[in-house]
Amino acid sequence: MKRKLCELGIIILFYLLQVSLCRVIAIGGVAPNLMIVLPVLFGYFNGSKEGMYVGFCSGIMYDLFFTDLLGFTALMFTLIGFFSGMLSNRYEEGNFVIPILLTAGGVLFYEFFVFIGNFLLQNRLILPFFMTRVILPEIVYTVIAMLVLYKPLQLLNKVFDSRKRKVKDIDETIL
Amino acid sequence: MNNKIKNFFTPAKILAIISIFCAALIAVSFFSDKLVSPLREAVSFVVIPLQRGVNGLGIGVVKSEEKRKTIEELQSYSSELEEKVASLEAQNEQLKKDNKELDDLKKLYDMDQSLADYPKVGATIIGISSQNWNESFIIDKGSQDGMEEDMNVISADGLVGIITEVHGNYSKVMTVVSDNSYVTAMDEATKDQCTVKGDISLFDKGKIRLERMKVDSKVKEGDRIVTSGISSKYLPGILIGYANEIKEDETGMSRSGYLVPAVDFDHLQNVLVITKKKQTTD
Repeated sequence: MKRKLCELGIIILFYLLQVSLCRVIAIGGVAPNLMIVLPVLFGYFNGSKEGMYVGFCSGIMYDLFFTDLLGFTALMFTLIGFFSGMLSNRYEEGNFVIPILLTAGGVLFYEFFVFIGNFLLQNRLILPFFMTRVILPEIVYTVIAMLVLYKPLQLLNKVFDSRKRKVKDIDETIL
Repeated sequence: MNNKIKNFFTPAKILAIISIFCAALIAVSFFSDKLVSPLREAVSFVVIPLQRGVNGLGIGVVKSEEKRKTIEELQSYSSELEEKVASLEAQNEQLKKDNKELDDLKKLYDMDQSLADYPKVGATIIGISSQNWNESFIIDKGSQDGMEEDMNVISADGLVGIITEVHGNYSKVMTVVSDNSYVTAMDEATKDQCTVKGDISLFDKGKIRLERMKVDSKVKEGDRIVTSGISSKYLPGILIGYANEIKEDETGMSRSGYLVPAVDFDHLQNVLVITKKKQTTD
């Protein structure tokens, strides 16, 4: 329970960074998507359940303030958390290949659905432009942000974990 | 017992439950905002005060850069300014006289409702949309401060956008450069009607679209484009920007081109909300 609350705190912190700092560090109007990093990394560290929980909460935060359709981002981020959780059995300290692929895939997956909802359904077929000008730079920038945030989040994750290590071990054997 | 529950909730099942829940949320919020608004109010009650504080962090970085002007630079600047003040004072006297005359004339033409007369409230931007294609932002005034949907938002330079959502302690503003923005406008000099449309593919050029001008309209490059009286949501006479590259369309039936916004959206920090709405009930 404590762990869940701590994660909620991190989500709020990331949201605050997203709305304030990210626009300052934006390059050419494209800012990294910090909120998507959370389900990817927490799923990768701790498994699907954790990934889904973090994805759902950060998605709801994202929806409340940025999208008109509450639940859309939550669903997308939950899925992202679920899939990165499936790779958590391959978790190794210092292995960056999987998180990079997961982050890139996550941003691509999310932004592509955003494109479908906001442009394609309105008959605005600007996929090449959207791909090269919005999605690709965002993927690159988000991956860089993820690499910067990887160590601090890993550390925080360990701090949360130290208390519940034993319980978690049992959980994993059941799963 | 506890273990049994844990065994039942495998990740796949949880995923299915959350997916159904999200689908329900999407369906509900698609049709009405009423069911989700308590949640929104609760979250914003916690987050918005924090956001106000953190806001200084992001925008503060930009500001501290600006502070780094040297003393010499400032000294030369101040003597320059003193000269300017003297000349401006003289000019001001002249303008006062002219203004008096203008006021009288305006009354004659029943046009005294210029932009300066609208009641305005200042607001600070405390968050910018994280979606890279959508230029909308959050201001620190909500329904508690008398904000309402469809109120026009301006800055010292011109039209910024319109309030699309109002909540207890914050509101969301859609800017005119946003991809889904659409404003009815006209040329200030020639009174030719046109529409101003945000377009993401012009993102890099710093322009938006200027469309639907009649083929015989006399809009020229550099003309001031203002909101039109026809618009149902925007008050008339607010500067949006300047016409650019006006050409006849391929069909030969209309003219279109680009518009350079008067407002610098990248460095916007404070805005003014006009508390008078277009459709007044009185």
